[in-house]
Formats: sequence, C-alpha cells, structure tokens
Amino acid sequence: MTKLLELKNVSKYYVHKDGWLPGRKICALEPLTLTLERGETLAIMGETGSGKSTIAKLIAGAEKPSTGEIYLNGQLLDPRNYRQRSRHIRMIFQDSLRSLNPQTTIGRQLSEALLFNTTLTSEEQRDHVMLTLRKVGLLPDHYHFYPHMLSSGQQQRVCIARAIIVDPQIIVADEAFVSLDPSIRAQIINLILDLQEDMSISFIFVSHSAEIVKHVADKILIMHHGKLVEFGSTQTMMLQPQEQLTRLLLQTDLQNNVTAATSSSHSTTQE
Amino acid sequence: MSILDIRNLTIELETSAGVVKVVDKLSLQIAEGEIHTLVGESGSGKSLLAKAILGFINPRWRITADRLWWRHYDLLALNPAQRRLVTGRDMAMIFQNPGSYLDPNSKVGEQLRELIPAGELKGLYLRRKADRQTRAERLLHRVGIKEAKSIMDSYPYELSEGLAQKVSIAMAIAHNPKLLIADEPTTAMEPNTRAQIYRLLAKLSASQSMSILMITQDLTSIIPESQRISLVYCGQLMEAGPTNTVLTKPAHPYTEAMLSMSLFGQTAAPKTRLPTLTGAIPTLQHLPIGCRLGPRCPYARQACVNTPRLSKVKQQEYACHFPIIEVASDD
Repeated sequence: MTKLLELKNVSKYYVHKDGWLPGRKICALEPLTLTLERGETLAIMGETGSGKSTIAKLIAGAEKPSTGEIYLNGQLLDPRNYRQRSRHIRMIFQDSLRSLNPQTTIGRQLSEALLFNTTLTSEEQRDHVMLTLRKVGLLPDHYHFYPHMLSSGQQQRVCIARAIIVDPQIIVADEAFVSLDPSIRAQIINLILDLQEDMSISFIFVSHSAEIVKHVADKILIMHHGKLVEFGSTQTMMLQPQEQLTRLLLQTDLQNNVTAATSSSHSTTQE
Repeated sequence: MSILDIRNLTIELETSAGVVKVVDKLSLQIAEGEIHTLVGESGSGKSLLAKAILGFINPRWRITADRLWWRHYDLLALNPAQRRLVTGRDMAMIFQNPGSYLDPNSKVGEQLRELIPAGELKGLYLRRKADRQTRAERLLHRVGIKEAKSIMDSYPYELSEGLAQKVSIAMAIAHNPKLLIADEPTTAMEPNTRAQIYRLLAKLSASQSMSILMITQDLTSIIPESQRISLVYCGQLMEAGPTNTVLTKPAHPYTEAMLSMSLFGQTAAPKTRLPTLTGAIPTLQHLPIGCRLGPRCPYARQACVNTPRLSKVKQQEYACHFPIIEVASDD
C-alpha cells in the first residue's frame, strides 16, 4: 500500500543576490525524506529559523522545492499544478482575521473554494457551504456575515471550514492555535479532533506548544537550522528523547511552573 | 505592605450602545518586590487596567475607584503633570511585540542613550557623552546581552524578538523603576526565549526589589517565581491569591476551567476531547448581568444573576456564589 504523503529529498535554498555577482546560497531546508499515513497527525517543532514553516509551505504548495519531489498517494505533485494540489492539501494560517477577505461575506469566500475545485452549480455550492458551516459548529445564518462580525474563535472556524469544504486529504496548519484564548483554543482542538475522526484527514501542524503537540500529534518532527533532528512517534519521543533539543522543546512549561511555585512557596513558609 | 493599592476600580467606556463597564470593581494589591501575575483572556480589560495605572487615559473613559494609590500618592487626585512625574519616575512598561515598540528609524544605541536620566550625569559635554555610552552598555549587560557594542549599532529590525524584548526591558529599567508592568511580553515566543525572559525578570525583581505586574493570557505562561496571581474574566475579578494555592486548590470554577484547558498534557489522555467552557467570550455590548462568567459556567445557578461579593479564605480571594473548595471547614 502506498503512503498518503511522501517527501523525497525535498530541500529549499534561497539565493541571496548582491549586485551582479553570482549569489550566495542560503539553505532553509536541507534534503528531507518523510512519509505520512492516512489519518495521522504530524507535529513539526523547532526554534525560529529552523525551517519548520518552510516544510509546511512546501507541502501546501506555497513555495516550490529547490530539489526533490512530493508524492501524494504515489502520484507526483507538480509544483505548478495548483488545481491538483488545492483539492487535496489545504492550509490554515495563524491570523484567522487576516487570512479572510474583509470585503466579502463568509458564504462567498467558502463558495470560491468550490468554484475553483468543483463543477457544482451555484445551488449545490450554497447547500454545500451551509452543510460545512454546520460541520464546524457555525450556523447557516453565518453565510451572510462579514469576517469582522465574528469572534476570533468563529473566524478560526471559518478558516477550518474553508479548508475542509473540498474534502481534502491533508490539512496543513502553521501556528493556528497561538493567537487564540485558552477556552477557544480547547474548542478548536476538539473540533479538529472530531473532523479528523469523521473525515479521516491527515493533519500537519507547526506549533511550539508542547501541551498541544502531546495531545494531538501521532508523530513529531523536530527541526534545527533546516536539519532534521529527530523524528518518531509521540510516545517514543516523550519517553525516550534522544536529543537534548527534543527534551527541551517537549518539556511542559506549566508543570515546571507549578512545581517551582510550590517549592518556592514552601521555602518561604519555612523561613 | 502593598505599594500599589487598587480597590474597586471601575472603568466605563462610552460607546454607541451606551456606557459599558469594561472593568467592574477590580481590586489588586502589589507588595514591594513582588511578582504579581494577572491572567485574563482577551476582552478581560487587563490591558485597560495597566493603562489606568500608568495614566495612559483616553478622555472618553470614566475611571472611578475607592482607592488607586501608588505608595503615598492618590493617583486619581493628582493633576496630570504631577501624575506624570510620579509614574514617569517610578513605573515602566514593556509590551507584547517588542520589535514594533522600538523606533525603526534610529539605532538601538541612540534610543538607549536617550533614556539615561540626564540628572544623574556629571561633568562637561564630552564627559557626559562618554558617561551616557558606558551607562547604556551597562544596561544591556544587566539584561544579559554580552555583545553590547554590536547590538547598540544595529537597527531594531535586525534583532530577534527575544533580543528586542531584552532591549526593551533594558530601556524600561533605565531609570530604576519601582514597578514594571509587562503586558504579555512573551506571547508567540518560543519556549526557550520565553524562559530566558522570565529568568531575567525574576532576577531583576529579586536584585532590585522591583515589583512586576505580569499580564498574561493563559496559565502556561507564568513566571515560576510569581508570588501572587489574579484571574480576571470580562473585567471582573474571579480569583486571586498565592500562586501555588490558586493553581493547586482553585476555588473558582473559572480557575478550574482555565487549569484544565491549559494543563491538559497531564490530565487528559491524548486525542480525547478537552473540557472547555461552552460558548464564546461575550462582546462589550452584550455583557451578561451579575457574574459575567454565568452563561458559560458549568455550576451556574439562579443566584448568579447577582454579582457575587469577594470572599476571602486565608489569603485566597474569590468571587463566586458556589465555590469549589469547602469554605466552612477552612474557617
């Protein structure tokens, strides 16, 4: 059986040109080989400049790889064929309000995705948009709303609706949970877990919150300076991290905080 | 002895939909050298509170308080010039996106030198100039920047966000303030950088007995050394108390919910659904009456349409009709 997604020696270089001399190559991602099964969740972690967003962009097709190929179900993804890619791989961005068009209604923005990817009539498009809005926990009434009329959580739901509306196989999310409030964030995580169960979507997300990664991911990929540091299932990464960086990134902040707070207050009470 | 004493601070905004109480009877005390964490989701009025303390006040806001005292000054009774003198001498603030609060047009060094208090410099022109330079360098050393020369010679866009935040902390402590207000200084920073900033703030607070009011959005970003914590929801104080008591034995349903929503790594099995508060944070125009958590609270009953009063058990304060802990046995 073929894998859902396969990256073969994918790398990304930028050429930094200074004047008319041949430019300097800057490496954003060194050749990377990676596979992902259907319905699995992959979390990409790393520090700034580690190439984690580059991987997300390469998979989503926002950037073209310098070398290597990406295969979806054993089929080569052409970097220029957006129609093929946007049907199967969708992306969610960090700032939900800024990734929505402020001038058009939610309904029209969602049907634009259908217009490009399907041959539905406008009646069918409308029905499908209504159905998708319900799937992500919004009301059909929201069809006529403009993005600014919604709260940040609802905006993020619209972004998720735009991603799942064409029944994709992979959703790529770049820091999609960072700017949300805790209570809304928990709701969105629940929504994504529900959708993943219903539609067996694979989910690739970039995050630096160890809490979310531990909860949601099946596999974790740790990056540093464009190189793969460690890759494995969440279980093994948590129990037997091989690298210092993995341990550092996966340690849970609050746990330390609470223990530190407890110990420090104990010491003060003793004094 | 608290140096900042706020009792029943109310901030009202005039909007097109009428007057809205954005901050409703909030009380807060900060002792000298204490790190106080203020946790609130968006729309909780936490940034407004910071602005009210510092006096960045829009004339359209109506600010009333039983007490808004800074040391022995009644901040509400001072005229703007006096108030500016007091806050300018004793307080400083750092912000969320440090890069965007630095002047993009001038080098970091120029911005730092500008901030050295002129009254502390001695001698004639050249001597003063050299003195400024060494003091600016010393400031950068104090916030843990080793290559001070090269940082001072660079523009803000050239700095990483961690470095930019350190520079803005250096600028904030240039005149040795007694109170530093940090408004979500580490949001969207990676854990490593965040830990560095926390260690730096804790060290500054300990070595110079500087109080820090740390404003954050969730419970995962708390300075480990923080002594007290206050949770605010929609402008109402939910719970306040010593950090470890509040985090280990929460009295208020909101604290409990916030804990389970940010601490799920330990409590929830992977891939299970997380416990959440239903619904969304209410908008300013549609604030519920009584306890503002009411419509989202799992324990809400009829009594919750009246605003609960602040109860106190030992050092832990909470505003709830139906607290989680056993109150009677503790008294």
